[in-house]
Amino acid sequence: MGAIAAHVGRKRRLFLPFLVPAMALYVAFLVLPTLATVVLSFTKWAGAGDTPKPNGVGNYQQLLNSEAFQFSFVNTLIYVFAGGVGTFVLAFLFTMVLRDMRGGKVVRAILFFPNIVAPVALGMFLGFVFKYQPHKQGLANFILTELGGTAQKFLAPDNVTWVVTASLIWASSGFFITILMAAVDNIPPYLYEDSDLAGASPWQKFTNITLPLTWDVIGVAGVLWTINALKIFELVFVLAGPGTYSPPNRAWTLGIFVFDRTFGSNGTPDFGAACACAVAMIVLVSVLVVALRRLMRRDALQY
Amino acid sequence: MPVKRTMAVTLAVGLVVAGCGTGTYDPETPEAKAYFAAPCPEPGVKPASDKEFTYWSMWTKDEPQGKVLGKAVRCFQEKTGVKVKVQWLGRKGYSQNLGPALNTDNVPDLFDQDVTKVAAAIVTPGGTQSVEDVYAMKVGEGDKTVRDVLSPSSIDFPQNKDKDGNNFLVPYETLSSAWWFNRDQTKNVQQPKTMAELYSLFQSSQTKDRSAVSQDGDISFYNMYFFTQLAERFTGAGGLYAAASDRSGQSWRNPGLLKAAEETAKLRPFFIDGWDAAKFPQNQQRWADGDASFLYLGSWAPSEVREYLTKQGVDTKVTFGSFQFPMPEGATHDIVEQITIGFGVTKKAKHPEAAKAFAAYFLNKELLRGIPDVASNLVPRPDVDVPEDLKSLKAVLDDPAKEHVLQYDGLESLAGGRWTTDVFDPANLALLKGQLTPQQFIDRLASTQATFWRNQG
Repeated sequence: MGAIAAHVGRKRRLFLPFLVPAMALYVAFLVLPTLATVVLSFTKWAGAGDTPKPNGVGNYQQLLNSEAFQFSFVNTLIYVFAGGVGTFVLAFLFTMVLRDMRGGKVVRAILFFPNIVAPVALGMFLGFVFKYQPHKQGLANFILTELGGTAQKFLAPDNVTWVVTASLIWASSGFFITILMAAVDNIPPYLYEDSDLAGASPWQKFTNITLPLTWDVIGVAGVLWTINALKIFELVFVLAGPGTYSPPNRAWTLGIFVFDRTFGSNGTPDFGAACACAVAMIVLVSVLVVALRRLMRRDALQY
Repeated sequence: MPVKRTMAVTLAVGLVVAGCGTGTYDPETPEAKAYFAAPCPEPGVKPASDKEFTYWSMWTKDEPQGKVLGKAVRCFQEKTGVKVKVQWLGRKGYSQNLGPALNTDNVPDLFDQDVTKVAAAIVTPGGTQSVEDVYAMKVGEGDKTVRDVLSPSSIDFPQNKDKDGNNFLVPYETLSSAWWFNRDQTKNVQQPKTMAELYSLFQSSQTKDRSAVSQDGDISFYNMYFFTQLAERFTGAGGLYAAASDRSGQSWRNPGLLKAAEETAKLRPFFIDGWDAAKFPQNQQRWADGDASFLYLGSWAPSEVREYLTKQGVDTKVTFGSFQFPMPEGATHDIVEQITIGFGVTKKAKHPEAAKAFAAYFLNKELLRGIPDVASNLVPRPDVDVPEDLKSLKAVLDDPAKEHVLQYDGLESLAGGRWTTDVFDPANLALLKGQLTPQQFIDRLASTQATFWRNQG
């Protein structure tokens, strides 16, 4: 009895020394900067020797009425939703076949490859793939014309959002296949054997076994996706523009909006507006993540 | 082989993206060799008390302008004993390093950038001091002062003054823009006198395999040249800026501006296929490869393209020619655009005396001629010779009959650069793509601009 009490007492004494450094670092480098962002979003500040001047909700009003912000917002949502649906549909399709497939492990590894390339490099590379130049087309248009189609202006500002969406699906599905397959590997094989005996189709196996038993993991993967998609920046920056200056604002994302207002190509930095957009991003990600968690809430299945 | 080619192209992109105003550094050219071998000139002013100063450069150490300024720094140290602490930061140094540093006391004494960027990012928040005293300093050529050697148009314009009316920049490089062509390929080109002559020149230069005009449509401020060049010929210096600053947007209802939009729209059929899905520098390279006859670009075009051609292993003995937009019918201002790059001195500088003495020293002819001789760019001193490619453009800039207008009439810095991205660029792209008629273009500018300014508070 005395020994246990002494142990608990020692544990208590250790509680603070373990907690405080981590908390202090967390507060100093994450909580305070976030709060500063919120405070600065209510000011006007060029960040170059002048002092922030309060201007109420002015930055937010400007955001809502700015065409550049509207494009950024819509494009970001396209990446989150269209890109998300595409990525997960592709990931589910692969989980359906990869489990039974011979050499599935190798295929999985190959599908993961795009993830090890930096998005900037990927953007540069895809810029050549989607090049439009009569008589000297990029790979995509080369294949398209060889098959009898007409070459497309993939990188025109009107089209680039969809090109980036497709690239994103291609680049990130491998990552989510890996996560989902890890969960699928934990499902006891006898469930699948049993369903085989009962004559279930792959689709039935997917909806009745794979999906319910990996539900939690899918939820986490969904959250990961949302956060990643919301902060998309480099791929669009290099693919839609020259790489040094911001691309036409039709193709912007919220990340590019923040960058442009902070280090604008030509002009005075507008830290207030950049902070307001960053706050909008925090709100958007919170709303989406909470909604997603709600949507995905189920009782955990034991197996 | 394809892999190799992609690599080469990627490298080329990386290098060219490094930006406007650069040139080729070829230490083998006789002019460059002579420049670096020449002895250091005597400074006109030696700092009395400062023993050092700090300079944050917009160039990198190994690019041509960096090499030229490197020589000036060595010479200044040798002749005055003042130690120069240089940081070669590159083009973004003013926004990513200098801007944030102004919040502290740890600022450089001297920095450089173009006048529009300095005005928007450094002068507006109050980060610079007057350089009027530099204009009175001797450059080391007898009694000649900085003001004596510089062309008046390079310093005497409203956008070069801070809110107290003092100049804040000592210019040492000039950028301008023009229609460029390869003299060997497109022969007998004269300056067109009318827009009709320009269009017929374009028309006659077109063949099955060659378009008239190449354009990298992914850079908004490259798309901006056409309308602004034409509009400035109707409005004159400051007129376009005034129209863009009008809170009601109604200033766009000026008949001259509609005329400029109409002429801009007529250029579209001459643009190369794919200009609107381009990835810079793809289309300026297509022009260099001969896929198009003309290219409208800044005075850095020949040197940037020559660098590409050298990498391609092409014979680079080609020479480039240039001409200006003609006067559209009814236009009254015979303008030429220019923008200066120069030195600024920070307000919190600890060694302004030495920094200013160096700025004056660099304008000495023996040092400044490195900008054309080594970096193939123009300078604001009319008595310095320029390379063959730039001679016609220099003649236009030196012509006293021309009205000098700041590049894009300074529109780039309006509302901290947001006016162009939010109001002008989308409408301009739509006009160039034929999605808006000239009248719709004007209407759209008028309405989005009114909303924009209301929104800015």
